[in-house]
Amino acid sequence: MTSILLNALQYLGYILIFPGFLFCFVCGMLLCGIDRKLVARMQKRVGPPILQPFYDFFKLCGKETIIPDAASRTTFLAAPLVGLAALVVIQLFVPIHGFSAFYGMADVIVILYLLLIPALASILGAAASGSPYAGIGLSREMVTIISCELPLVLILLAIAKTVGNALGTGLCFSLSAIADYQLVHGSLITKARMIPAAIAMLLVIPGETGNHPFDAAEAETEICEGMLAEYSGGPLAVFKLSHAVKMLTLTSLFVALFLGGVGTGITAVDGVVVFILCVIVTAVSISFVHAVTARLKIEQIFKYYWTVVSGLALVSLVLAWYGL
Amino acid sequence: MSMLNYHHFPIYSIMVLFFGAFLIAAIGGRDIAKNRKTTGVRAFIPLLATAASLAFLIALIKPVMLGGEVIAYWMGSRGISNGYAIGIALEVDALSLFFALLIATALFVSAVYSIKYMEHDDNIGQYYILYCMLGGGVLGLVLSGDIFNMFIMVEILTFAAVALTAFRTKVYGALEAAFKYLVVGCMGSTLILTGVIMLYAQYHTLNLAQLAALIPGTMNNATKLAFALLYIGFSTKAFIVPFHPLAADAHGAAPASISVLISGVLTKSGIYGIIRLTYFLFQTMELGAMQFMLVFVGSVSMFVCVTMALAQHDFKRLLAFHSISQIGYVLAAVGLSTALGISAGLYHAMNHTLFKGLLFLAAGAVLHETGTTDLGKLGGLSKKMPHTTVLFLIGAFSISGVPPFNGFASKWMIYQATYQKAVETGNIGFLLVTIIALITSVLTLASFVKVSQSVFFGQLPAEYENVKEVPFGMRLAMGILAVLCVITGLVPQLVTRYLTEPAARAVFRVGDYISSMGFASQTPAPAVSFAQVGVWEPISWLLILCIALLAVTIVAVAGKYDRVSVRSSETVDTKYQLFYGGEDNFHSQVGGGDLFWGFKHNWRHYFSFMHDLHSGIVNDYALWAVVALALSIVFVMIVL
Amino acid sequence: MFKKLIEESTAKSPWLFHINSGSCNGCDIELVAILTPRYDVERLGFKLAGSPRQADIVVVTGPITKQSLPRVLRSISQVPEPRCIVTMGSCPQSGNVFKGSYSVAGPLSKYVHVDVDIAGCAPKPEAIIDGLALATQILKEKRGQM
Repeated sequence: MTSILLNALQYLGYILIFPGFLFCFVCGMLLCGIDRKLVARMQKRVGPPILQPFYDFFKLCGKETIIPDAASRTTFLAAPLVGLAALVVIQLFVPIHGFSAFYGMADVIVILYLLLIPALASILGAAASGSPYAGIGLSREMVTIISCELPLVLILLAIAKTVGNALGTGLCFSLSAIADYQLVHGSLITKARMIPAAIAMLLVIPGETGNHPFDAAEAETEICEGMLAEYSGGPLAVFKLSHAVKMLTLTSLFVALFLGGVGTGITAVDGVVVFILCVIVTAVSISFVHAVTARLKIEQIFKYYWTVVSGLALVSLVLAWYGL
Repeated sequence: MSMLNYHHFPIYSIMVLFFGAFLIAAIGGRDIAKNRKTTGVRAFIPLLATAASLAFLIALIKPVMLGGEVIAYWMGSRGISNGYAIGIALEVDALSLFFALLIATALFVSAVYSIKYMEHDDNIGQYYILYCMLGGGVLGLVLSGDIFNMFIMVEILTFAAVALTAFRTKVYGALEAAFKYLVVGCMGSTLILTGVIMLYAQYHTLNLAQLAALIPGTMNNATKLAFALLYIGFSTKAFIVPFHPLAADAHGAAPASISVLISGVLTKSGIYGIIRLTYFLFQTMELGAMQFMLVFVGSVSMFVCVTMALAQHDFKRLLAFHSISQIGYVLAAVGLSTALGISAGLYHAMNHTLFKGLLFLAAGAVLHETGTTDLGKLGGLSKKMPHTTVLFLIGAFSISGVPPFNGFASKWMIYQATYQKAVETGNIGFLLVTIIALITSVLTLASFVKVSQSVFFGQLPAEYENVKEVPFGMRLAMGILAVLCVITGLVPQLVTRYLTEPAARAVFRVGDYISSMGFASQTPAPAVSFAQVGVWEPISWLLILCIALLAVTIVAVAGKYDRVSVRSSETVDTKYQLFYGGEDNFHSQVGGGDLFWGFKHNWRHYFSFMHDLHSGIVNDYALWAVVALALSIVFVMIVL
Repeated sequence: MFKKLIEESTAKSPWLFHINSGSCNGCDIELVAILTPRYDVERLGFKLAGSPRQADIVVVTGPITKQSLPRVLRSISQVPEPRCIVTMGSCPQSGNVFKGSYSVAGPLSKYVHVDVDIAGCAPKPEAIIDGLALATQILKEKRGQM
């Protein structure tokens, strides 16, 4: 009886503290702050303090939440909460150097689909707000999702094949098996054939999180923040938090897929190491790209992802397929 | 045998529907909608008949699905004489029962829905007569053990479906759609008949089991021709490419309750026919080329139809194209000829019946209240029809494969099955199918985002200010399907264990099928494996999500997130208007056609090509049928 | 403690919404100038918001022409509380060279309560930063009174 209770408490701890909410909140926000600081430094600015996203979050919590007449109230308010919860759950499935809170519950293809839920939540929230700006925004968001989907699929299939070949099962979708493979064979990024896929994944991350230059969906200067046009106060704070957590989720997914390896076995140390790796990935894939590019038009985003990025991923897939 | 012996149940389940049709006809001839009394009775008879039919089939789950029995049932006293089957037989194995269950469920739910949905139409009597005929025809088709009987049932269901498509003759395009359906449907039926004749001339029997025992190993050019004819014949019934434009027209014009049947029932009968044909009668699925044919047609169907759906601006036409797209998934998965593939395909077929039925009923609810299904005219209905919105969203999430709804469970099995097949055979083509399936899935999501934005969310046009929620009866029908969608998504292990795996196993046990009819079988049942590489535990996931959601909500409520400001007085307050860059508010809805411009722009050449191809002229479609037939004959002659 | 945290954060994260009410564009350019690497107000947490729903500080430039007046007022009303209204340049305060024109409805203070006036034609970036910093303190006070 007590053991069941302890078990339940342990899992509750996983969900609420590490690697669940608290971890997501703190690390996601830190990651976001570091990103803003890095971009500022790359542009020769001082930049906001690293804790800036926390300030933004708490400020928004203290603001009035206005619900427009045209909005469908329940959907409008529930969408950000569902999106955030779904994101945190994905983070629970991403292994941290061999440590996985919920072992073998979802594989990479499932993760691919689970990533749709937060996006879908924000799309439905935007649609429920009734604003035409949000309408344009959600349309662009959906196109961005379609754009990212093809390269992501190719990347994941390439990984599944590479790991499957080594394990002798032909293919492997399990995240924990991918982590185990990297324990034995070293990080996937060290395999020459996976390097194009890793580059493609780095390019997919800003698209999935909606960062520059793939932020046509939330272009604040042309369509008034797009999907978030009518959001204020608490729900907006949750959306901002979701954005930060999404950065963490995707970068840690990159770390789990490509930069896995031997952990120290101590969860705390591993957590810190993974976070540092996440920061590096963010710096390369989000901050650097942000600092040097201007916003792309939506049809350019689509074209870019389905040609250049997918091409890179395809190279990896074909190489993995023929075992080169 | 006692009357309640379950061996009688298959014929009961068919006859109860035909009997219902005659009973309705017996009650009276033409009537008008005002005559409430007989209308009520007439709506009640099909409800009772479909419920009874469903009950008989459910009673068969235990012996057939779990016990693995194949029910062979000779009608009348004639059976086998001199080694040839001269009687008419029903033969129910797990595969037949699986499809029959789907069909009976769809029939029942649609009958519940029809009561309120059709109450303002004239000639309700005729509607229900045709309804029961259609139902009986499809059930007869899937339970039949006799290929000529299959043809008869195909005829019954085709003509019932054509008449029902044009039932609302005043709807724009209804007669045209019915005419197109009639032309191509008749071509299909004729092809089936020709195929049957050729087989009979060769083998002097019409019994499916006996044909299955005789055909393999004795194929000559005439048999191959018969195969091609039957294959194309059943393809027209399943509306797979190149017969998909018919489905779009038919669904657009037919009442929603009939659209449910066309997509959930008629297409399934086509798929059933193809499975019987390829796996049982001719047993050709060992051949890579035949697998290629089904998988190729399936992949093309799923991709072409999903892109066509993205270009639609009518709710029901959009759903129609999605219907074929999902059938493409089923066909591609079934064509893999692996146990996992067939199990996944059948699972998806079941889910398709559930979620597509739900979506069509939601479209019907919108039509019932607003009088239109044009995506450009609707908007903001979620405030007026909240229950319908929730039910629609469940359907939309299911078809788009959002976890944890049922569409995801089956699609995910299909991805695994295709990828596994690719790895096993080393053929990169199957890998392409996995990729196409994944992309199709996200495009499906896109087009349902389009529907939810342009019908249920966004701004409410002034003319729909007085729209009300649909009557309870209609919501009940949708609710049944929505609950089934959620359940089948949450317990994929149970669904596969009790429904799809027995059915998939039956596909590989041709020998049992043949021998239970009393014929000698040559084919031993191969060992099958349903092992999956992926892991997905929807219930645990849902549990974690619920805890997470609860935690977020508690924090949000504690943080005064719930203290929101909404307009308190009746007067217009600029604060609660939408932000229009400072302008006063006016109706401005981003129409369905304008969404996803970034995607369509890059694909404009493809879309304009497709636009030219789907001319809407029935001559063209008939020509396509001929071309498809010619191609398949050539293909079959070469590879078989 | 939580209330204190929110108050502190409010002062550290003011998001601007900029309304041009018929300005000559001089002030608008100066406002953008403070975001450049030279002045970089992002270090104080300032950010340009795209929608009034997300803004804390509304910056109004231009002499409030009759055409723009209802739009300015509507946009201001759509900003959630606590909010702070800042006029930038002389135009919205006095009308400047446009004073007395048939098409000018200003000053803005006739219609809404203005928290901070930043004078100048156009104001120096240093003056703008100073004014905005003052606005953040007012914002914090308003939050405290909520």
